[in-house]
Amino acid sequence: MNTSTTGQPVGPLTAQPGKYLTFTLGRERYGLPVLVVREIIRLCPITPVASMPPHVRGVINLRGKVIPVVDLRIRFGLPDPVDHDRTCIVITQVAAAGGGSRPYGAIVDGVEEVAAYAADDLVPTPDFGTSIDTRFITGMARSGAGVVTLIDLEAIARADREPT
Amino acid sequence: MTVESPPPAAAARRLLQQIGLEMAFLDLASPGGGSAGAVLAGLLMELESAVALAPEPIKRLTAKARECTTPLPAAMPDFILSLADWLSDWHAWMEEAVASWERGLQLPSVPQPLETIPGATASTPVTAVAAPPPRPGPDASVSAPPRRLVLDDPAGHQDVTVLPQEADPELVRLFCAESHDLLRDVEQGVLVLEGTPNDPDTLATVFRAFHTLKGNAAVMKLADLHRLAHEVESLLDAARRGGRSLDRDAIDVILAAADCFTRFVTEMARQVEGLSPGQSLSLPVPAILAAVAHLLAAAPAPEAARGQAPTPPPAPRSAVGAGEPAAATPPPSPAPAARATEPTASAGPAPAAASAPLTTAGTSIRVDTHKLDGLIDLVGELVIAQSMVVQGTTAERPPDEHLARALARLRGITSDLQRTAMGLRMVPIRGTFQKMARLVRDTAAELGKDVRLVLEGEDTELDRTVIEQIGDPLVHMIRNAIDHGLEPPATRTTAGKPPTGTIRLSAFHQGGFVVVRITDDGRGLDPARIRGKAIERGLIGPDTVLDDRETLDLIFAAGFSTAEQVTGLSGRGVGMDVVRRNIEGIRGKIEIDSVTGAGTTFTMYMPLTLAIIEGLLVAVGDQRFVVPTLSVRESLRPLPGDITTVHGRGELVNVRGRLVPLLRMGPHVGVAARATSPADGIVVVVEAGQECRGLLVDHLLGKQEVVIKSLGETFAGRHGFAGAAILGDGRVGLILDTNALVRLKPTIAGSAA
Repeated sequence: MNTSTTGQPVGPLTAQPGKYLTFTLGRERYGLPVLVVREIIRLCPITPVASMPPHVRGVINLRGKVIPVVDLRIRFGLPDPVDHDRTCIVITQVAAAGGGSRPYGAIVDGVEEVAAYAADDLVPTPDFGTSIDTRFITGMARSGAGVVTLIDLEAIARADREPT
Repeated sequence: MTVESPPPAAAARRLLQQIGLEMAFLDLASPGGGSAGAVLAGLLMELESAVALAPEPIKRLTAKARECTTPLPAAMPDFILSLADWLSDWHAWMEEAVASWERGLQLPSVPQPLETIPGATASTPVTAVAAPPPRPGPDASVSAPPRRLVLDDPAGHQDVTVLPQEADPELVRLFCAESHDLLRDVEQGVLVLEGTPNDPDTLATVFRAFHTLKGNAAVMKLADLHRLAHEVESLLDAARRGGRSLDRDAIDVILAAADCFTRFVTEMARQVEGLSPGQSLSLPVPAILAAVAHLLAAAPAPEAARGQAPTPPPAPRSAVGAGEPAAATPPPSPAPAARATEPTASAGPAPAAASAPLTTAGTSIRVDTHKLDGLIDLVGELVIAQSMVVQGTTAERPPDEHLARALARLRGITSDLQRTAMGLRMVPIRGTFQKMARLVRDTAAELGKDVRLVLEGEDTELDRTVIEQIGDPLVHMIRNAIDHGLEPPATRTTAGKPPTGTIRLSAFHQGGFVVVRITDDGRGLDPARIRGKAIERGLIGPDTVLDDRETLDLIFAAGFSTAEQVTGLSGRGVGMDVVRRNIEGIRGKIEIDSVTGAGTTFTMYMPLTLAIIEGLLVAVGDQRFVVPTLSVRESLRPLPGDITTVHGRGELVNVRGRLVPLLRMGPHVGVAARATSPADGIVVVVEAGQECRGLLVDHLLGKQEVVIKSLGETFAGRHGFAGAAILGDGRVGLILDTNALVRLKPTIAGSAA
């Protein structure tokens, strides 16, 4: 665990025990609740949409449906994201404004596995100081020798609508 | 439904046990016997189903118990007391009788006192309902039932719990969906009955609708609704048997009951989705019940007929059978009730069977619109994949004969499939038109006008998205017609017109459009008055020259209708400008025609479907965009001399003498365009209303019909794109919102604000 933190947890641990899809952004490992994941596809041609924030890469055609796609690497400020042959799009289902759900695609550098985290494995998000935006982090999970950062995709989708 | 069903007698025995327990909890001090009273009523319903195949005395006695416990929730205390005694004796006999039935032995004889239900007068049990107020309020005295149905009096209202505890959400949704269909049948049928009160088929349909509503309410354990439906069913039954003709009062009552149901079901649908926090609704159930009782009491029908009415002739009333949903979701009631479904299966297919005048014969099923949209999406993908296969094979070398034939067949089937899929979205306009019938009736009554509505072309089919959008404009225009257009009967007679005004709603296909027309034979529009009003509102100058057509068009101008013209009825400050905007929002057009003194006609032209548009495919840099051809005036490659740059005003293109502001699409959509000078690219002139804009693109790629997909809420509020289209190679091309582009303020050097 990276010890260069103040050590004080910031906010309550909101991540629930359960199954998570783990994936990589750059060299870091992240996790999404598996329940929101519908499928994973290889990177395919993305049609950009003008005047959107940089992390919104555009839309794709998935079996006849037009789905928005965001780049989580850009969203979390990771330096110099590069699309390579392991880059994939995780197709998820998030809440729609008027009720019901809508598809939402997220670009990641690679997908690892589905891991089950028990309550013991979960720890609250530490305070990283002001350098990191922790709004979208629900907690951290101890996984093997390392740590997985668990994120709240619904919150990310909602924040897209906020003026940047 | 396969369920292990115990024999009916055993089930009846168990129900009797439960009934016995509930009876012990009957709270004689509280009206209706407290909550036990309602539970008791429910158990008795189930018992009635359980004894469907029992020997006659058991059935009869069960029916009696049902009879007198049905009014239980609102009955007066002393009624409860004598009832409780009777129930005790009844229960004792029933236990013995059911035991004998179970063992196949002879039943004990029915004691004489049991044959008489306590509290019932010489007339019918229903009369007992008419007397008491809904709850013990300060006004506990019994007043005579009202002559006319008065719905505003709060004393006639009752709080009804909407969502029962532990209700299964799926079941609730099914109940709501079914109820909406049934209530629509009721409304249509009732309006027919107004004209022909004794039409047997319509009476049968409306009766059956309430019967099914009653059964469904029982399944959902909605005692108040069950009772309401039961009483209206009795009224209809009396009419069906020729005992009582449905007069205006009766029609009002039936419609009021239907409205109660509608409000309840609508609220329930909202609550089950978490859209409404409320617990209960205040509904005029007691007022309606009182009115029904009054109507029935006044009827000359013999008691025997009335006493029989609650039990439909063909089979024992099965609380479940009537409510068996088409989708065959197993209801939560005990097995014996489900088995009793068989004899009353007639309740199920009934709506399809005998109501030919009202509904088109034929079967239909409910389909989730998401599934339908999903299917249509996939068909679109299939079309693209198929054309990619064709292009791929022909590109290499000419395919052999066998392959060519197979490909041709594939193409044929795919295009048939696409046409069928698009056809699935088409819905006849009948439903929308029928809703107007009710609106006309109510509005005319409220305004003291005499109006008849004539509907034509109800079978005309429209895309369901278009249908959803024309409802509001139609309502507004009809209200306007009745409020302002049609004169009061006296005025009409003086003018030599028939006192009954006519509104004609017609729909038909014409040249690739759907035309919907509203005509009234009222006072028409006066161009002089409109002109005067427009000058008053500052919409035109006093010297503006306009012909009659243009003058009439002024009523669509924003700001034309103001507070003084708006009555409580025809708008909440909504004017014809909103109507026009709504119609144009679905890529339609609305025109107006009028003859002063004779009437007014509004004609709306709408595309057959909103899902598909014809688009001009253009390339800007490495991106492709779709420009709706409807907005394209022309496209040209300008000569260098045709371009003018004006300081601070941007670039202008000379298009055959007209100066059109230029918009460079490259910078606008954030793409590196190939054409740096307009003369290197193509200018596509698009128009919105009277204004034009020249869009500078790199290439024209051709015309194509594309299916419009919504971009979704992620992109909501970003102007400039009307949606997305799936192009021939499977990629997404953004569809330009030409209206927005034309209205963009031009800035320096052609880039847009």
